[in-house]
Amino acid sequence: MLFLISRRVLVAFATVIVVIILSGLLIHVVPGDPVTAMMAQSVSATPEAMAEMRTRLGLDLPVWQQVLLYLSRVLHGDLGTTIRGNESVLRLLMQRVPNTFALAVSGLGLALAIGIPLGFLAAVNRGRLADTAVMFIAVLGVSIPAFWLGLIMIQVFALKLDWLPVAGSSWRNIILPALTLGLTYCALVARMTRSALVDVLEEDYIRTARAKGLRGHEVLLVHALRPALISIVTVVGLVFAYLLGGQVIIENVFSWNGIGRLAVQAMLERDYPMIQGFIVVFAVSVVIVSMLIDILYNFLDPRMRQK
Amino acid sequence: MNQYHLRKSFSALLATAAFGAGLGLSVAAAADLTVARAVDADSLDPDKTSTTQSLQMTNLIFDTLLTMDKDGSLHPGIASAWSVSDDGKTYSFTIRDGVKCHDGSLFDGAAAKARVDRAIDPATVNPDRSLWGPITSTSVDGNVLKVSLSEPYSPFLSFLTGIQAGFVCPSAFATADFKPIGTGPFKFVSWTRNDSLKLAANADYQNFNPMIENPGKPHIDTLTFKVIPEAVARMAALRSGEVDIVEPSLEETADLKSDSNFKVYAADLSGQQVLAAFSWKIKPLDNPEIRKAIGMAMNRDAYANIAFEGLVTTSSCPVAPRLFATDEALCASWGEKYDPEAAKAIMEKAGYTADKPLKIKLLAHKLSGWDQMHQIMQQDLAAINVQAEIETREVAAHFDHMSSENKRTDGEPFVWTMGMSGVDPDYLNFLWKQPGFVNMGLNEQVDTMVDAQRTLMGDARAAKIHDIEKYLLENAYTVPLLSPGWNWLMASNAKVDGFKLGFMVSLLFNDVTLKQ
Repeated sequence: MLFLISRRVLVAFATVIVVIILSGLLIHVVPGDPVTAMMAQSVSATPEAMAEMRTRLGLDLPVWQQVLLYLSRVLHGDLGTTIRGNESVLRLLMQRVPNTFALAVSGLGLALAIGIPLGFLAAVNRGRLADTAVMFIAVLGVSIPAFWLGLIMIQVFALKLDWLPVAGSSWRNIILPALTLGLTYCALVARMTRSALVDVLEEDYIRTARAKGLRGHEVLLVHALRPALISIVTVVGLVFAYLLGGQVIIENVFSWNGIGRLAVQAMLERDYPMIQGFIVVFAVSVVIVSMLIDILYNFLDPRMRQK
Repeated sequence: MNQYHLRKSFSALLATAAFGAGLGLSVAAAADLTVARAVDADSLDPDKTSTTQSLQMTNLIFDTLLTMDKDGSLHPGIASAWSVSDDGKTYSFTIRDGVKCHDGSLFDGAAAKARVDRAIDPATVNPDRSLWGPITSTSVDGNVLKVSLSEPYSPFLSFLTGIQAGFVCPSAFATADFKPIGTGPFKFVSWTRNDSLKLAANADYQNFNPMIENPGKPHIDTLTFKVIPEAVARMAALRSGEVDIVEPSLEETADLKSDSNFKVYAADLSGQQVLAAFSWKIKPLDNPEIRKAIGMAMNRDAYANIAFEGLVTTSSCPVAPRLFATDEALCASWGEKYDPEAAKAIMEKAGYTADKPLKIKLLAHKLSGWDQMHQIMQQDLAAINVQAEIETREVAAHFDHMSSENKRTDGEPFVWTMGMSGVDPDYLNFLWKQPGFVNMGLNEQVDTMVDAQRTLMGDARAAKIHDIEKYLLENAYTVPLLSPGWNWLMASNAKVDGFKLGFMVSLLFNDVTLKQ
């Protein structure tokens, strides 16, 4: 077990290194120049001043040197400073990580709280009205764009009913975006739960359990749930990792101050250090989450441990 | 055992959720004036930013040495008096007695000198450095700041009234970590990037701006700027009363105008100008006649009334209305008039027919109003046998693209659009002097003229600016379209009284009162 964990940690570390190098490289492939971007909006500097700024920011160094320098700095915990405002990238990202994390956890929590029972209901009543109804809701959930649902939520709960605020950072502000995320992803969770359970319920050992005379809910909760959880955990893990990258659209609609909005802003402004910092933080969260999922598998499925 | 683990993980998940949500909290705002904008400032240091959104904020915290009235006349600011030497190379400013910084320190001649020195220090890497002019040295004698230039620079005084020339107190930059400390109407309280900026009224404030009536402390106590990127959400926040003033979406502004519960403000003094320009190095647009025909096809009234909902006006000069020396009637006599029939005849004479149209690109940046304008423009051009393919980019990418496109001397010709703003026609120098902004510079003749206007004053300077405008228009290097044109609109609920928009879309809250 310890060997398995340390192997996973090593692979994770190597992945992060590769991502840092790639993010350093990719940024040079994307069209756009940060100095022009800085000067774009108003009467600004002369070409000489722009050239000088380019030198100061190290943008005149060969690409490989910029990438190596970046790698060594990141490994020392320094993500650099933003081109605009000259602020610490790490500090800016860390200010927003709690917000993004809170939204991801609460959105996912709601998606699970709604999606798993619905999936259960559909699987147990396979082919019946309840199943069709749940699957209809699931299709609806997958098809409704999150930004549209978000705007409708604002119209209803903020404007018409005046129950919740449109924008801000108080605890009441998380309710609408979390609900929007929850409703969007509960459809996926419900579908996953249903298909996983349907598969498991057809297994021989379930038939055996039933033949032994176990009651329906015992069969479901004791024998069917755990194997079904493996595929649910995979989906949940992926969704969670994705959500940690910041829900750009939801964050924009609800003015939620997470890292997704920060990243988009940085992209529009060609703020290289900020974009690179975001990629690194996002990659690290995805790597950590998938590592945790791997480890969680081992608890859920004894066969994985033997492998 | 495993069920236990699962339960444990689930409780951990719940605990994390509660913890995460807790970290996202902050205390609710006290009663104040709240403004919602689409984009946040990128810095509160006026020497580190050149975006309007940032300078709108710094302009509330930092005052200027001089101020400008609606008619463009200069008035005192932190400086109670000023003078220029006969050779136009030395400026003296008498700093007012008793001007206090927000931290209680005195703003005197020495402080003013330190501020100018910082702005021009190459180590500051100020994106607006060139606007400060060719300053060679500064000195201070009692309360008089002397600024010496290597050559005359007539836009200097107007620049000192503008939002790029905020006078920062020395205590702001005493340490490496910049603190927004100024002498302006509002004190900095807190800033969470991309979320909210809180300011409080400066109790010691003395106003000298002729556009503001209130002589002292602003009437409101606190001023909060929220960032709400989505236009629909911003409008919902205005309608629900969550915020008092917003940057409205262009689409909803027409509705708001006709609703007595709201007020709409347009920045007449924005100094903003929307222009079309050409790839004049590429055939056939190297021919002024073809450029003129394209200019004659552009129905600027339709752009103003349809694309911009009648909230902007057409303009005829390469410099925005109300700035020094701008004379719309004079420019109109030099530029092209809307005449699609004559334009079509020119194109046909040059061999471009409906079957064999001139193919060009129409390069533009994305902004509401602008997109519709370009669609109408595309139809206008089609009517004179010019087949234009629209290519839009985000603003930074557009200018980046333009700086390489403007270097091209062959390949597909293009027409492109841009916006410009300032408090002085000196931006002609910035745009058209070689190599020029995004390499749009023209030739030595223009270089000489735009340099010469900087060394002249009064009528002589106005005459030189007219020469430049005449040259640009008669040779059809540019087609002036509209003014203003971007983030120039604000809307408030009816409670708000006394809100004003100043030069370069500066936001003036000094006179604002909230009706109950």
